[in-house]
Amino acid sequence: MNIELQTRIDTYLMKLRRSLGELPPEDVNDILREIRGHILERAENGGQLTNEKLVQILRDLGEPEEIGPLYQREASVARARSSLSPTLILRATMRWGMNSILGFAVFVAGLFGYGLAGGLIVSAFVKPFDPEHVGAWLTGSGFTIGTLAHPTHPDLLGWWIIPVGLVVGATLLVATTRFLRWMLRFAIRRRIVPSAPVALPV
Amino acid sequence: MPDNIPIDNWQAQMRKGWLEVAILATLWRGRMYGLEILRDLEERSDLVIAEGTVYPVLNRLRTVGLVEAQWEESDSGHPRKYYSLTPTGRKRTRLLATQSSEFLSKMLVLIQPLIEGKPR
Repeated sequence: MNIELQTRIDTYLMKLRRSLGELPPEDVNDILREIRGHILERAENGGQLTNEKLVQILRDLGEPEEIGPLYQREASVARARSSLSPTLILRATMRWGMNSILGFAVFVAGLFGYGLAGGLIVSAFVKPFDPEHVGAWLTGSGFTIGTLAHPTHPDLLGWWIIPVGLVVGATLLVATTRFLRWMLRFAIRRRIVPSAPVALPV
Repeated sequence: MPDNIPIDNWQAQMRKGWLEVAILATLWRGRMYGLEILRDLEERSDLVIAEGTVYPVLNRLRTVGLVEAQWEESDSGHPRKYYSLTPTGRKRTRLLATQSSEFLSKMLVLIQPLIEGKPR
């Protein structure tokens, strides 16, 4: 294979690598190795490799800028569905939300759930260090839990905010994670089988 | 459907929808590497839009545990990634085949009069 053809293949793979974005390096290497193998195997079939033949092989494969995001969406949703990391799950939901109203609604719900859970847990941990400003109050503007710079109403929970914050916060954390992971199945179904009831029941 | 809606896009969506089922059905016959799966799909179906779309689907099937993959050296000089169904994948493929068959039977009943040009 001459240098020009080799350069063309390398350029294609470089573009693909760029479009794979945030995937783990070992996944990226695996994907590039497989696609390179595909190109070389097709190149070896049917006589000598010419520039025209290579152009056709790469055209049949598709634009790297279009293939890369397919890996990202597939991989991030699949990883998120088997993960416990709120960051990973929220990121996959956010990507889904960029293409779907349902996805966006789920993302907002997830953000609220994790935000509230985080607030409760942090309040429980901070209470011993700043008991005056951390608590739960019923003020003129409604119920507030967390921190207030100048609380004017009596703290409803007092020291109870520690066990309540930890238990309710942890429950909300788990519930939000389970909800988002369950909802992400619809992100996969909508893409894989958009119109038929034979969707993969993962 | 109004005449100005491109039918190509609809066909592309339908092909994408069935691609996953077709890949699992192909692997039901035994372990294969990517290009083998593609050649099989090209011979026996009309589903492949761009060859590169098959690999992300295989990657996802592997991530969710329906398919397992293994690199092996080949006579051609470069390694090949062979895919095969896992036990869960075999069960799921059978279930999908049954569901697909039922779905297609019902669809055929619905569209058969259109194909035959029968009046409403």
